[in-house]
Amino acid sequence: MAEVNNQILEQEIRAIVAEVTEIEPEKITLEASFVEQLGMDSMMALEILAAIEKKYKIQIPEAKLMEMKNLKESVKMTKEYLKED
Amino acid sequence: MIDIQEIKKLIPQRYPFLMLDKVIELDEGKSIKALKNVSINEAYFSGHFPDNPIFPGALTAEAMSQAACVLLKKSIPDLEATLFFVTNIKIRFSKPVVPGDRLYITIKTVKMTRMGGVFETEASVDNNTVAKGEMTFACK
Repeated sequence: MAEVNNQILEQEIRAIVAEVTEIEPEKITLEASFVEQLGMDSMMALEILAAIEKKYKIQIPEAKLMEMKNLKESVKMTKEYLKED
Repeated sequence: MIDIQEIKKLIPQRYPFLMLDKVIELDEGKSIKALKNVSINEAYFSGHFPDNPIFPGALTAEAMSQAACVLLKKSIPDLEATLFFVTNIKIRFSKPVVPGDRLYITIKTVKMTRMGGVFETEASVDNNTVAKGEMTFACK
């Protein structure tokens, strides 16, 4: 994937986060903290990582879970791995 | 093939809650196929239901979870975790399972880590899918 559309990526990952956390998408802002503001736990984070991997057919190492602090960081991380493909 | 003695070394569940009889296929890190023989002699059939024995769907989910645990333990042999907690489960049940059925459980890894995993699960009887879904569990 040469050009990654930021906005589409953001929307798609927001939808994944919304489905896993059962939180309305509009509450999932770029900066909202997954743990403190959205109440996410480590297994929800793992589910989001798995869903991102499945959707974009990429592999993201488990260690990257720590970097998924909010939607902004998750989009950034996904982009990095999409570029590698 | 993994027999019941080895299964017992891998997972902590015991009678009356050991929902696997043997493992038929194992592709470490990727997938597992296990068998649960459903027999009328099992105690829960006296209540589920008194005149109509049906293998509880919750126990099909338990069998899936146990098979996923075996897959995890075989894939990460030095995993110290001894307890497993299901944290999310989404399964559609399509056909009832009854005494005499051979319930085949197939698990495919979506994501596996030392802290837990996300798995695609399917149960079938006579090559017909009876339940299908996804589950996540944590190891401690």
